[in-house]
Amino acid sequence: MAIRELKVCLLGDTGVGKSSIVCRFVQDHFDHNISPTIGASFLTKTVPCGNELHKFLIWDTAGQERFHSLAPMYYRGSAAAVIVYDITKLDSFQTLKKWVKELKEHGPEDIVVAIAGNKNDLGDIREVPMKEAKEFAESIAAIFIETSARNAVNVEELFQKISKQIPPLEHSEVDSNESFKLTRQPAASTRRCC
Amino acid sequence: MAAEDLPSEFDVVILGTGLAESVVAAACSRVGQRVLHLDRNSYYAANWASFTFNGLLTWIQQHHEESQPEEVQDWSSLLEEGEELIYLSYSDSTSISNLQVFCFTSEEDEGEEAQSPDPPNTTEEETAANGDEDAVKAASTDSTNEDPKDKIKEVTDGEGEGQQTADSEGVEPTADLPRPSAIQGQSEASRKKISYAQLVKEGRQFNIDLVSKLMFSRGSLVDLLIKSNVSRYAEFKNVTRILTYRHGNVEQVPCSRADVFASRQLSVVEKRKLMRFLTSCLEETEEQQAYNGRPYLEFLCDQQLGDNLEHFLLHSIAMVTEDTPTEVGLASTRHFLRCLGRYGNTPFLFPVYGLGEIPQCFCRMSAVFGGVYCLRHSVRCLLVDKDNRCKAVIDSRGQRISCSHFVVDSSYVATEQKKVTTPTRFLSRAILITDASILPSNSGQQVSMVTVPPIAAGFPVVMMVELCSSTMTCLPGTYLVHLTCQSVGSAFDDLSPVVTKMFHTPETDDQETRPSVLWCLYFNMADGLDVEVEGHNLPSNVYLCSGPDGHLGHDHAIRQAQLIFQKILPEEDFCPPAPNPEDVLYDGESLLPTGGGGGDNSGWGEKGEETKENPQTEE
Ligand SMILES: Nc1nc2c(ncn2[C@@H]2O[C@H](COP(=O)(O)OP(=O)(O)O)[C@@H](O)[C@H]2O)c(=O)[nH]1
Ligand SMILES: [Mg+2]
Repeated sequence: MAIRELKVCLLGDTGVGKSSIVCRFVQDHFDHNISPTIGASFLTKTVPCGNELHKFLIWDTAGQERFHSLAPMYYRGSAAAVIVYDITKLDSFQTLKKWVKELKEHGPEDIVVAIAGNKNDLGDIREVPMKEAKEFAESIAAIFIETSARNAVNVEELFQKISKQIPPLEHSEVDSNESFKLTRQPAASTRRCC
Repeated sequence: MAAEDLPSEFDVVILGTGLAESVVAAACSRVGQRVLHLDRNSYYAANWASFTFNGLLTWIQQHHEESQPEEVQDWSSLLEEGEELIYLSYSDSTSISNLQVFCFTSEEDEGEEAQSPDPPNTTEEETAANGDEDAVKAASTDSTNEDPKDKIKEVTDGEGEGQQTADSEGVEPTADLPRPSAIQGQSEASRKKISYAQLVKEGRQFNIDLVSKLMFSRGSLVDLLIKSNVSRYAEFKNVTRILTYRHGNVEQVPCSRADVFASRQLSVVEKRKLMRFLTSCLEETEEQQAYNGRPYLEFLCDQQLGDNLEHFLLHSIAMVTEDTPTEVGLASTRHFLRCLGRYGNTPFLFPVYGLGEIPQCFCRMSAVFGGVYCLRHSVRCLLVDKDNRCKAVIDSRGQRISCSHFVVDSSYVATEQKKVTTPTRFLSRAILITDASILPSNSGQQVSMVTVPPIAAGFPVVMMVELCSSTMTCLPGTYLVHLTCQSVGSAFDDLSPVVTKMFHTPETDDQETRPSVLWCLYFNMADGLDVEVEGHNLPSNVYLCSGPDGHLGHDHAIRQAQLIFQKILPEEDFCPPAPNPEDVLYDGESLLPTGGGGGDNSGWGEKGEETKENPQTEE
C-alpha cells in the first residue's frame, strides 16, 4: 500500500488539551501532568485510509502559542489543521476565530480544517453549547467533533474524518528540481507531506 | 486571552531572533538550559526575516516612520543593593537605511474597472506604503488619466531625491517614499504584465528575504542542520545553475564535469584546459605556493587558460576579486568544488519558502526543548552587580527576570556600549519582482546564482540570486531577484546601474526582450561582519550577535553562535542530534542515525557520500 505523509498542525489556546489529544491518538495514553512533549517536535502515526496508508506527522505547538508567537514555518505544507477549544472554557471558544484567521494568514490555501471541542467528559461544567460550535464549524466548512483525550472519546474519529477529507494524490508534479530534506542516510522511501 | 506574565527566572535570556541568536537558543535548550527568547518585532528572524509582499510593504512603512523616542522610565525601584542599570535602545534606527521603492507595472489589471469609494486625492506615498487593496485601487483611479510619461518622470525625480538623502548622513529619509507608477497602455505588446493589484492580492505567495545568501552544501549551516536534526523542519532545493554577466550577456558557467562536457560555449581545447585545471586545483602544489600573496588573477593568467575560463574561474567559481591573493582564491575554489555533487550540480542549496525559515527552525527546536517564546516583547535594561555581571533584566512590561547569561542582537545595544574598531560598513540590497528569467529555460523553474563583476571601475562586485516560483518565494509567472554587494554609495547608486543593464525598466526603452521589472526595492543594511561577540562596554556574561554579514554563506553567524555557546556552556556538546519522532515514541532511546550511502557524483575528485531523500511516491 502506498504511504502518504500528511503534516497536521494543532492550534488553540494553551491548556485546551492539544498535547493530550496527540498523546492519546499516538500513544493511547493520558497523563494529567503531561510534560509539554519535551523532545518530540512531531509525533507520527499511520492509519489506513481506503487503499492508502496515511502517515500523520503531527506537529504540536511546542508551547509557542502561549505568548502568541507561533512561527509561519509551523504551518508550512500542512495538509490539515486541528483547532482545539475547551468546552468548559467559553474564552477558548471565542478565540477560535483568531486561530482561524491566523491559519488563513499563514496556512496553505487548501488546508483541511477540523475543530475539536475537547474535555467533553466535563459536560457538567460545559460553557460552550455543542450546537453553537457546530454551526460555527459549518460556517467555515470545517470538520467538527467533540473529544475527550482523557476518556479516549472521538480522538481516533477526529483523525479518520481528516483522512477522509484529504484530497487524492495528484500525479502532475514534473518539477525536475524537487525539494528534499537533508538527511544523513538515504531514506528508503518517503514522500514529503502534501 | 489575558496577557500572561512570563516566568521570572531563566538560565539564558536571548533578545532577538536572528540566525545566530536562534542557533544559541536551540543549542542551550537542547542541553537543558531554561531559555527565554524574545523579539521586539511581531515576526521572527529580525534582519534575516522573509515577508509576504504585503508584509514587506508594512516593513518598508515601519522603516519610514520615525521611531518615537520613548520616555526613559525609572526602574530604580527594581534594583537590589549594589546593582546598576544599563539601558538598551528602544528601536533599531540604524541597521536599515536608504529605502527606495519603484513600481513599474500598472496599478490594476488591464480591462478591470477601477472602482473606489475613496476620494481620488489620496497621495501615492500613503497608498503604496499601506499596501491594502482599497488604497491600491484609489491610487489607480488617481493615475488612470495621467500621461504615462509623466509618471516615469516622477519616478526618476524620486531617485534624485533618494540620492540626496543617501549623501546627507544621519538624515531620516523622507523623500524616498514608495512611489508606484502607472505605465498603462504601454505593455499591450507581448507579455501580459502582472499588475500591482495582483501582486498585492497574491501577496501571500511571496516570501521575500531581507538577506540574500545561499547554503554551501558542505558549509557550516548545512552541517549543523543535519547534525542537530533541525533539518527535519525544512525542505530545500538545489540551486540549479550558475550564471555570469559578461559582455552584456548572461552566460551559464560550467562547473560540474557534466556541465563542462555539455557546454556549448567552450571549445574542445578550453574544456580540456578547464578539466585539467579543476582537477589539479584540489591538491596544493609547490607551483601554487609560489604565488602566495600575489593575486589569484596572476596565477590564473599564467595558467594560460584564456579570457573565458579566467572569467569563470575568478568571478563565478572562486567568487573573488581581481586582487584576491592566490591562496585565498584557491581555497575558495576548492570549497566550491568540494560542495559540488553533494546534493546537486551546483554547490548551493536554497530553503523552500526562503532563508527566513532557518532561524524559525532553530527557534522551534528550542521551543520543543522547553524554550519560552515571546514576540512583540523586549528588554528595557540590564541589572548589573558589583562583579560586572548581568543578574537580571527588566522586560518591556517592567518585570524583573533573572538570568545567568544574556545574549543580544547588537541592534538592541546603544552605540556607546559597543566597541567597534572600524566605522560601520553597509551592504547594498535590491529586491526585484520580474516577469521572466534572465536566462529563460524550458521549465522556467531554475534557481540561479549569478555573478556580476564590477560593471565599471569603482563599482562593486554584485551577487545576484534569481528564484523561481517553485521555491515558494514568488507568485507563479514571476521571478524574485536578489542583488547584494558591499556598499560603495547608497543601494540605489550601487545597484540600479546593474538593474538597468540587465533588466527592462521604463528607463531602458527598447529592451523588451529582457525581463521586465514589475516592482523593486533598494535599501542598505549594516554589515554584521565587524561586530565581535565580546569586548564591549557590557557585563562579562552578555554576548553580542551581529546582524547578517555580506558573505554568500552562513559561516559567520554559525561561528558566532558556537562561540557564544562555548562561553556559556564550555563543557556541553553543541546541538547534539534531537531524537527522531519514532524513537521518542516507541523505544524512548534516541538512535543516532548512521552515515553512509551513495550519492550522485558530479563533483571533482571526491565522492558525494550524501543523498537526498527522494520525494518519490510509492504505488
Ligand atoms: N478532563 C479532561 N482534561 C483534559 C483533557 N485533555 C486535556 N486535559 C487536561 O488539560 C490540561 C492541559 O492539557 P494539554 O494537553 O497540556 O493542553 P495544551 O496546552 O493545549 O497542549 C492538562 O491538565 C490535561 O490533563 C480531557 O479530555 N478531559
Ligand atoms: Mg501543549
